Amino acid sequence: MAQETEVKTSVMNNGSQGLTLEVDNISKSFPGVKALQNVSFKATSGKVLALLGENGAGKSTLLKVLSGDIRPDEGEVRINGVPQKFDAPVQAIQAGVSVIYQERQLVPSMSVIENIYCGDLPSTKAGILRKREMKQTAEKIISDFGLDIDPYEKLGRLSTAHQQMVEIMKAYRRDSKIIAFDEPTASLTDTEVTILFDLIKRLKEEGKIILYVSHRLAEIFQITDEIVVLKDGRMVKQLNTAETNEAELIKAMVGRDIGDTYSALKRNDKIGDVLLEVKNLTTDAIHDVSFTLHRGEIVGFAGLVGAGRTEVVRAIFGADPIKSGEVILDGETVHFKQPKDAIEAGIALCPEDRKEQGLIRFRSVQDNVCLPVFQKMKKGLILDRKKQEALTEKAIEKYSIRTPSLEKLVVELSGGNQQKVILGRWTSELLTTKLLILDEPTKGIDVGTKAEIYQILCDLAREGKGVIFISSELPEVINIADTIIVMHNGHVTGTLARADATEEKVMSLAMLD
Amino acid sequence: MLKTSRAQKFIKSKVFILLILLVLEVVVFTILSQGLYVSIINIRNILNSIVITAFLTVGAVLLMVRGYVDISASAVGCFTTMMVATLLAAGMPWPIAILFCLIASGVVGFVNAVLITECGFQPFIVTMAMAQVLKGLQYIIFGTNRIDIKDPTMVALGTQRIGGLVPYTLVLALICIIVYGFILSKTYFGKSIYMIGGNPQAAKLAGFNPKKMAYILFINDSILAGLAGCLLAFRMKAGALDSITNGQFTGMTGAILGGVSFGGGTGGMFGAFIGMLVISGFKTGLTLLAVPPWWMTFGSGALLLFALAFDRFASFRRTKS
Repeated sequence: MAQETEVKTSVMNNGSQGLTLEVDNISKSFPGVKALQNVSFKATSGKVLALLGENGAGKSTLLKVLSGDIRPDEGEVRINGVPQKFDAPVQAIQAGVSVIYQERQLVPSMSVIENIYCGDLPSTKAGILRKREMKQTAEKIISDFGLDIDPYEKLGRLSTAHQQMVEIMKAYRRDSKIIAFDEPTASLTDTEVTILFDLIKRLKEEGKIILYVSHRLAEIFQITDEIVVLKDGRMVKQLNTAETNEAELIKAMVGRDIGDTYSALKRNDKIGDVLLEVKNLTTDAIHDVSFTLHRGEIVGFAGLVGAGRTEVVRAIFGADPIKSGEVILDGETVHFKQPKDAIEAGIALCPEDRKEQGLIRFRSVQDNVCLPVFQKMKKGLILDRKKQEALTEKAIEKYSIRTPSLEKLVVELSGGNQQKVILGRWTSELLTTKLLILDEPTKGIDVGTKAEIYQILCDLAREGKGVIFISSELPEVINIADTIIVMHNGHVTGTLARADATEEKVMSLAMLD
Repeated sequence: MLKTSRAQKFIKSKVFILLILLVLEVVVFTILSQGLYVSIINIRNILNSIVITAFLTVGAVLLMVRGYVDISASAVGCFTTMMVATLLAAGMPWPIAILFCLIASGVVGFVNAVLITECGFQPFIVTMAMAQVLKGLQYIIFGTNRIDIKDPTMVALGTQRIGGLVPYTLVLALICIIVYGFILSKTYFGKSIYMIGGNPQAAKLAGFNPKKMAYILFINDSILAGLAGCLLAFRMKAGALDSITNGQFTGMTGAILGGVSFGGGTGGMFGAFIGMLVISGFKTGLTLLAVPPWWMTFGSGALLLFALAFDRFASFRRTKS
């Protein structure tokens, strides 16, 4: 019996040497948008090719063309010179293309083994699963990857990074020759990023073609060999990573020289009196957190993912129960039982997970802007429609939100514009927001919009509001915030002024043992 | 700023498709029945048949916009049918009898809401269990005999017509649809249901109270079902067993036809009303043509599937163009 369960899929396949992927003159239009216009580039095996561009530049559309999710209007994709026509994702998979999206395509309630085989479970003629074969292959892949994962563990119980590894294993098991990563590091910690990069290097050495989509320039330099820059659906240029620099890339992406984003900011120079005082705040996830925030001050929270930063602001906002400690707002001790109380007291929270916690995705831009102030729009028994429209139009103008109409579903906007909708929601004249909390407001947002959001933060400070700014991107925290609070394991491990903060200092505090 | 006109928006909505379906239905049945279908008597029959369903539908629409479902509604209705008949037979004045019935219904909704919000159980499972508990209790408490209602006011309410034409119960049902339709589409409370239904977490972080909303909607749904049960008893002049079995499914079918989704956050009362009309118009049409009753059950299920397919096809065409 043991001989019968021969491992069918050759895991260490070297047959993909000398491979080419050609994207030739691809165009794709959606109603009102030319998502891709005559995009052409060539990728060869053994290299990592970066797809770089702002949101809306066409990276996602391109990935969807490659994965067979959408059909291009014009042009073709060739693998080894052979034109490919993908009508469905399964055809792309069969042709050896795997796309690893930010949202993992995995089943949390199933085991690691089953997930590795998902979509292609091997069975006997009678339809019975070949469990032993699955187990052997899965174990081999896991050990090839050099990871300590129990193949029988339910996927949902693995860490984010390990889940992502399983997604890669799935592609690997299919013997995909072309693997595309869509912002793979967005939710990984630094250690996890190292594991991922080691893996990408190995896949590259095996002769795979790797496509790598990311906003993080530092990563692009670390991991890629070539870069294709896209802007507004067109290819700007293709360059060798070794022969370019950050400034050139940003210029190519944005189409203008943005110079030093941070030094161009109009900052607030008048710090006022104390607005918020947090004393020994303790919940299930954080311990003894204390800090002070003044009017017109931006307090940044730095730390690794899971350090407890989100939990601090959720506790202040009344979203999580507080065990002990004190929150003093404007000299008064407050106890918010629910977010509603905090909002009434003048606090606003732009949550970490825009999609799950921030937006009502399948409602209009207008509904999403007016969300916290509907109650203030009563006209007799009914809600005043004109007021809602006026408020939304103001927000759209104030933050130059790109939307064709007020009724556009918010899910159809780009990430940067969605974030602006949430900012617009909390800064309308119907709310007297004194303190704005922004949890990872620039996550998954392109360079150009990021700069706009930094300026918005500074403007809020200039208006005399207090701002709490949580970010996992060190350069932005230490350059935007006036005071940087570093957290590790639920504790505050240090507080630095902007003038004293360096990436090294913050990192050493964030990784304190 | 670009604005889609109301007319354009309406033409693109599911309700518009449904209206076309309704018109088609009327035309086809009118031809087949040689005009009988559009006679006053038949139209009244159609409207009459939606009276009890209307109350169940209204409650279901509100719950479904929030993303919930209540399987126990018709069991509540059956229960109050027997309860109101028993209380009236025991000589209780009608206002107090109805009040007790509505309180009992409200308690059921409250228990549903506690189990769903505080214990985190699935609404489908909780209310399915509750439906069976109520069915059992109904037999245990009220027995299985028919209980006649003799209270003249209530019998009149159930059976008489304004000007000999429009039944009082129909008027009540229409008022209920209009009032709840207004609440859902125009008021802050209605907007809250859409927002919480669209994304409970985001709504909570923006100051809404999803828990409180769950209590209100489940209690409301049960009370409406209880009221439907009482009205049915008055119409039949008796409390009888299994009077509105599956009434909520008919209601939900209408709601889904009208564009209310199980996911929450979409649809409206007008669509649900048209959906109800389509179904009951269909059933009445088949009756008129003397089609055996089991074809109606078959037909209303098939109609829903057809409408879903048609809508998918239509929205597919829209995104293509």
